[in-house]
Amino acid sequence: MNKLFSVIKRELDRWRQMPVFAIGSVVVMAFCSVFYLTFLSKGVPSDVPIGVVDYDNSTLTRNFIRQLDATQLGKVIHYSSFASAREDMQKGVITSVCLLPEGMYADVQAQRHPCFTFYVNTLYFLGGSLAYKDILTMINLTSGAIQREELRMRGVDEESIMGRLRPIDIDIHMIGNATMNYGAYLANMMLPGVLEMVIVIMIIYAVGTELKYSTSTKLLETTGNSIISAIGGKLIIYTALFTVLAFSLEFLLYGWMKFPLASSVGWMLLDSLLLVISSEAIALVIIGAVPVLRFALSIGALYSVMAFSMTGFTLPVEAMSESIRGLSCIFPLRHYYQMYVQCGIYGTGLEGCYREIIHMLVFLFTPLFVLPRLHKAYLYQNYPKK
Amino acid sequence: MKDTYIKQWFSDVWGIFCHELKTIWGDGGFLIIFFVAGFGYPLLYNLIYSHGILEDTPIAIVDNADCSESRRYIREVDATRELRVECKCTTMQEAQKLMADRTVNGIIYFPSDFGEKIISGQTAKLSIYADMSSFLYYKNLLMGSEFVMLNEIGKVQVEKAIEYEENLPYNRTFSYSIFLISAILMLIIQQVMFYGSSLLAGTAREEHRSFATLPAQLHAHGIGRVAFGRGAVYWLLFMGVGIYIASIVPAICNFPQRSSFVDIIVLLLFFVTDCVFFCFTWSTFITKRETVFVLLLFMSPICLFLTGFSWPDCAMPGFWKLFSYLFPSTFGCKGFINLNTAGGSLHTIEPQLLAMAIQTMCYYFLSCVSLYFENIYINRKKQNSFERLTEQ
Repeated sequence: MNKLFSVIKRELDRWRQMPVFAIGSVVVMAFCSVFYLTFLSKGVPSDVPIGVVDYDNSTLTRNFIRQLDATQLGKVIHYSSFASAREDMQKGVITSVCLLPEGMYADVQAQRHPCFTFYVNTLYFLGGSLAYKDILTMINLTSGAIQREELRMRGVDEESIMGRLRPIDIDIHMIGNATMNYGAYLANMMLPGVLEMVIVIMIIYAVGTELKYSTSTKLLETTGNSIISAIGGKLIIYTALFTVLAFSLEFLLYGWMKFPLASSVGWMLLDSLLLVISSEAIALVIIGAVPVLRFALSIGALYSVMAFSMTGFTLPVEAMSESIRGLSCIFPLRHYYQMYVQCGIYGTGLEGCYREIIHMLVFLFTPLFVLPRLHKAYLYQNYPKK
Repeated sequence: MKDTYIKQWFSDVWGIFCHELKTIWGDGGFLIIFFVAGFGYPLLYNLIYSHGILEDTPIAIVDNADCSESRRYIREVDATRELRVECKCTTMQEAQKLMADRTVNGIIYFPSDFGEKIISGQTAKLSIYADMSSFLYYKNLLMGSEFVMLNEIGKVQVEKAIEYEENLPYNRTFSYSIFLISAILMLIIQQVMFYGSSLLAGTAREEHRSFATLPAQLHAHGIGRVAFGRGAVYWLLFMGVGIYIASIVPAICNFPQRSSFVDIIVLLLFFVTDCVFFCFTWSTFITKRETVFVLLLFMSPICLFLTGFSWPDCAMPGFWKLFSYLFPSTFGCKGFINLNTAGGSLHTIEPQLLAMAIQTMCYYFLSCVSLYFENIYINRKKQNSFERLTEQ
């Protein structure tokens, strides 16, 4: 116990001497929280620029443009020719182009069914899909309004008109994010991802700097040549730090920002605690297997950047190629996400998420395989120095 | 006199160039990043996102109507690219349980009056429940069921007053990989260069042999020569990586390439030059070899968001918009998307090229200024330690 205490005291001294520890963990997390929560603060983008080329310039087309402009999603930008509108779409200035053909109103009057054409730049995914949805809704409504007028002229009663215009209606329920808040959707996983990154890098750095500055023998002296107490002592204090960060993050997301959560926040706290300790274990595996600080940091960096993709919260894992799908389970963030889905979206409690809990606990055993190597490296400093 | 100055200038630049190149090839950490990240990452991302389209999302059906209309609807939904009917459930509870188990990612519910309403010419309602754990599930449910609905409407309805034709010219299938990889490729160039060069700058400072000491024969002149000499090394290496990433990788991975090779080179010329001086400026603050990873790794995803490829520019808060102008990737990624994937011309990416040119000038100036001040700082430190020695 005394040994652990001396390691902790030593580590605290190191924190005082090297501000990099405080900046790399607390400041980075604070900056990222501010960034993601303010950057995505709008929740759903509004006033997405939609280009319109009106070759008809009739009451019908002008009305259509006004209505499109009045939707929350869209903002109309006028163009005099298709060429210039297309160019701006290619530049990414506007998300889409609507082409209202010449003689559209006359064709509608004469029941010649004019063709309305629109182009969407789906390379800008979010803006593109929102504009796509908005334009489709608007053109269906416009078409419906004209048909309704026609049916009224024929003396069809109001109730049957709706049945004729819209025989089937879909009402959609979004489970777990009823307002389609992209901010909640992205920040929910990006911020824990940054936390995992910070943990992996900081633990590698904390363990690896002892090797780099050849202070590891001194550390082992204080613990009586016990690698378990040396690493254990370090981990106690880092776990405390990261748990505070993780809990603050969860309270920030679900308390302060009030992002939707189906179960009590306690489950998310457990989830984030598991993320903290399993990421620490992964970091130990990396620095234990490659006890050279610069290499271990490079590997840790490549690993933690991959985690964002492999979590599958944007492109689901089942849509990735078979060869890579299985790899997703070596990232603690993946299991954090799965547990969040079970608890945060479906509120299934332990029954739903016990598998993920076991998965993340399994990570804790992995450092046992590399501890002997790390011990030798700490003791003899036998690794390539240059 | 003039002739010798120019000659001297070039020989100095050449000397610095060779020296820097030697340091780079002798540094294992840099080489790992350079080869694994620079050459491996683009391929890895292509592997992860090789398909990029979510197909056949499993759904559960609760059909309380059990009429020919609902059965036809279910058959047609099952036939769409987006959706696959995994289970037919008798109650909503059963379907909910399947969804919570994640056997299915959505539910379509037909109320008992569905068929009746269609036949009697009223609006029939059906309900969809979508799993929002990934928005692509939602998109598939919405698109799949709406396609079928519109198709059904076509059968029931009188002819449409206005026909419409949709065109999604650059990314026809809403492919996630085309969207993401277009943006990520250029960012890899910038980040690899930044982490690599900061690593070297940090190492040099740690070992008290910063390039800012300036070669002795220059008599503390020649900031431009140091910037040019070192810049040329990175520029050459990363033009190579750039051509690989922006031109060869897409060809290997069957990624759309709609621009000419020459245009890509022009974009790279602007982007890589910009990145070199960007890295020189910001690496001034890196004093230790490893600190760049510890302190700045989190910037990679942030830079990606700042390009505006996902979250649209129009919804970006003003402050972050200004912040995004600090990074070459903001313009480089957009330039690559518009040029390579949207098939634009150099005229299309003119605003980006102009922005990168201005950025290059600013960063060149700043990197020289930082070199100048670091040189003064180092000399003063030397002076101090020398004085202390003589006092002793």
